[in-house]
Amino acid sequence: MDGWIQILVSGLTVGAMYAVSSVSLSLVWGALNVLNMGQGAMLAAGGYIAYTAVMSFNLPIPLAIVVAVIVGALIGGLMYFLIIRFMVGKEGFETNVIVATFGFALVLENLVLRLYGAYPLRQPIGLEGGWYIGATHVPYQNLLLVVVSGALMIVVAYLLKTTRMGRSIRATAQNRQATELMGIRISWVFLQVLLIGGGLAAISGIMLSTLTTLSPTMGYDPMLKAFIICVIAGLGNIYGALIAAFVLGLFEVSIQFIFGVRFGFPALLVLVILALVWRPYGVFGKRKTERL
Amino acid sequence: MKESSKNIYRRDAVTGVILILIAAILPFVFPTRYVVGQMTVFFIWATVVSQWNLVFGVAGIFSLAQMAIFAMGGYVTGMLGLYLDWSLWVSMFFGGFAAVIFSAVIGIACLRLRGAYAALLTLAISQTMYLLIITDTACFFRQGVTCRNFTGGTRGLARFGDFGFREILPYKYMAFGDYFLALVVLIFAVAFSVFVIRSPIGLAFQALRDNSNCAVARGISRFKYQLLVFSASAFFTGVAGAVYAGHFRVMGANILYLNLLLFLLSMLIIGGVGRIWGPLLGAAALMLVDEVLKEFVEWRLAGLGAILVLFVVLWPKGLAGIVDVLATKFRRNRNQTVDIKSG
Amino acid sequence: MLSLSDIVSGYGSQSVIRNVSFDIPESGLVTIIGPNGHGKSTLLRTISGIVRLQSGEIHFEGQRIDGLRIDQIVGRGVVHIPQGDMLFPDMTVQDNLLMGASLVRSSNEIAERRGKVFALFPQLEERKDQTASTLSGGERRMLAIGRGLMTGARILLLDEPSLGLAPVVIEQIYKIIKELNDDGQTILLVEENVSRAITVSDQIYLLDDGRIAWQGTGEELSSEKNLMEVYLGV
Repeated sequence: MDGWIQILVSGLTVGAMYAVSSVSLSLVWGALNVLNMGQGAMLAAGGYIAYTAVMSFNLPIPLAIVVAVIVGALIGGLMYFLIIRFMVGKEGFETNVIVATFGFALVLENLVLRLYGAYPLRQPIGLEGGWYIGATHVPYQNLLLVVVSGALMIVVAYLLKTTRMGRSIRATAQNRQATELMGIRISWVFLQVLLIGGGLAAISGIMLSTLTTLSPTMGYDPMLKAFIICVIAGLGNIYGALIAAFVLGLFEVSIQFIFGVRFGFPALLVLVILALVWRPYGVFGKRKTERL
Repeated sequence: MKESSKNIYRRDAVTGVILILIAAILPFVFPTRYVVGQMTVFFIWATVVSQWNLVFGVAGIFSLAQMAIFAMGGYVTGMLGLYLDWSLWVSMFFGGFAAVIFSAVIGIACLRLRGAYAALLTLAISQTMYLLIITDTACFFRQGVTCRNFTGGTRGLARFGDFGFREILPYKYMAFGDYFLALVVLIFAVAFSVFVIRSPIGLAFQALRDNSNCAVARGISRFKYQLLVFSASAFFTGVAGAVYAGHFRVMGANILYLNLLLFLLSMLIIGGVGRIWGPLLGAAALMLVDEVLKEFVEWRLAGLGAILVLFVVLWPKGLAGIVDVLATKFRRNRNQTVDIKSG
Repeated sequence: MLSLSDIVSGYGSQSVIRNVSFDIPESGLVTIIGPNGHGKSTLLRTISGIVRLQSGEIHFEGQRIDGLRIDQIVGRGVVHIPQGDMLFPDMTVQDNLLMGASLVRSSNEIAERRGKVFALFPQLEERKDQTASTLSGGERRMLAIGRGLMTGARILLLDEPSLGLAPVVIEQIYKIIKELNDDGQTILLVEENVSRAITVSDQIYLLDDGRIAWQGTGEELSSEKNLMEVYLGV
């Protein structure tokens, strides 16, 4: 019984963090057809900025988080202005942009390395203490992460469903030209998506750094996992990515608990291989949007 | 007026011969261990990229399993050498065949997938291989008191011998053996890629790229051709892995790092996707850049990143595309209106 | 209201439209007919900014609009309802219509327009929470037109409204097109279905091989036996 509670708590926490990261990737892919290889670096940057805000500028933690999110969003915006903007619509965009965002990630990673060094740092953000359910210790931090993630997802869902901006983003993902024919300046939508994506990535990074430690390459594995989640859900399917994030978080933790920590990631990989062989467009996905 | 195919073949052949001559003379001009070693590595990467070019640029398969196939070739070669005591010269070919079979299996699984899905599946396969090797801690056999695992685990697979040049060649020219071996493999690999690109299969892929529906209607089976190219190109990739194994005398899971994969992908893209000389240009360019950046160790990553971004944004057709444009201008200045579709 | 002067446009280095000139008066209904693949759609796409003009000028309400971005042209009131509808397949009817009102600031205005669209197309109101992909062909066409109307367009560019529809539905759609025009909506129509075109148009232009080969009213066209046979197989 205790084991299951432990799995549930850890799995939901991990899933919560994956959810934020996956939604970011999914949004960016859906609206821009960009597979953001910079996600990992942006994750790390978010964590480090929050760290600096607290340690060097003595900001209260909530403010530090806000600052980190804003900077994360700006990094996303920078990616748009320096790179994406020039490449949209050109031949081979989908693959070229992978190399370009990878290049961007390298620059970002290098900056982090120069500023903070490679030695892992401890993130000062986080709650101490926790509950006890039966014999299982449930850290407050984990609960906080799940709550924060849940709240974020509600905000994102609201944004997409009811606001003008959200509608434009959804429309752009479904038919770019039709969106333009509605009088919407598509470059604006792209910028907005990258700002949101950058902010979400930063949050995800802060979350991750409270569970482990800060290191320049900390974002790499989570980025891969976010990719896997998005692919299993069907690229561009935001709600699917959300569900898949929690399911896969629970799955990974279960495997780790039962078979050992090092089997967690490989199990995810085997799962995605099987899933794609069974359903080439992702479990919830479908062939590239039918033209109506 | 389109350049006649005879002219194109002649141009390919002449370019090839000139490059081979330069490559043959080079080690004698710069006989230092370091330069010869780096050039050997360049040949190996160029081989890998040339085959990746066929898979991705010609057949249109967005595969990130290239290094997994490379690793398969290298590890099988090493294992045959280590466990069965075979000479690397023999096991090299078996490494290549193992790579072919491996890629055929991957192909059947992922050729149904389009674009990013194929990329992620193949990446997942590559990562799985990496983790399987890294977490391989079970004792496969004992050597004295040390426990050795099957794949070599985190320490890597070693002690499978090499290509034997150390015994044959005088000390000064020891590195030349691997150098010329890698060069020969590269020559065959590039020749093969030229063959595919200029052959009916290559033209079929061009048709599939230009007008997919029409080509399929005329009976061109994308799946069959893709599987063919995917598998055949794996041979040279696997052999390149074998040469790597024999040259460094160790096979480690580090070849499956994402950083290296993306480094090689960048060679492919910067060189010019789908072009014959693209891989060579890209590999040369990036290795040069890497050399230069070794001076500025602290900014190496950022330097590489910035160059990647610059290239992809400004010159998406790659170096081969730039060469094309220059060559066209040159020809136009000689008062010839030629419509070139060069490699 | 809309005037084209010596338009040359096409894709890449090819020219599909060659030296086309004509004007559309306010509240007019002009139809472009002609054989398939000869540029009718390209003409509309050039006006709306999807295809770049190679030479010539396009003026709308006295101001030049060629060279502007698509969204800027829509902002001037030139609204293109594309061939094949181009709906947002996973969005509801409501949301599709709201997308049409993207440039409208006041929510009262939006509600008013939506009311008008539902009055014209009651089927859409019935299905307002259904996703666009679940609609029938005719309903999709209605949604596409309704979405275009939500923009409050000063001129509507309609690309083949009868494409792929059953005669009964075409009847309905054309009744509405006529109604809209009677109420003062300026419309530029592209149509394969010549008989329909004749019934609604003020002026008809025949586009052959990218050039205007003939122009006149509906009655004049009906009496041109040669044209009717050669070009239109009637």
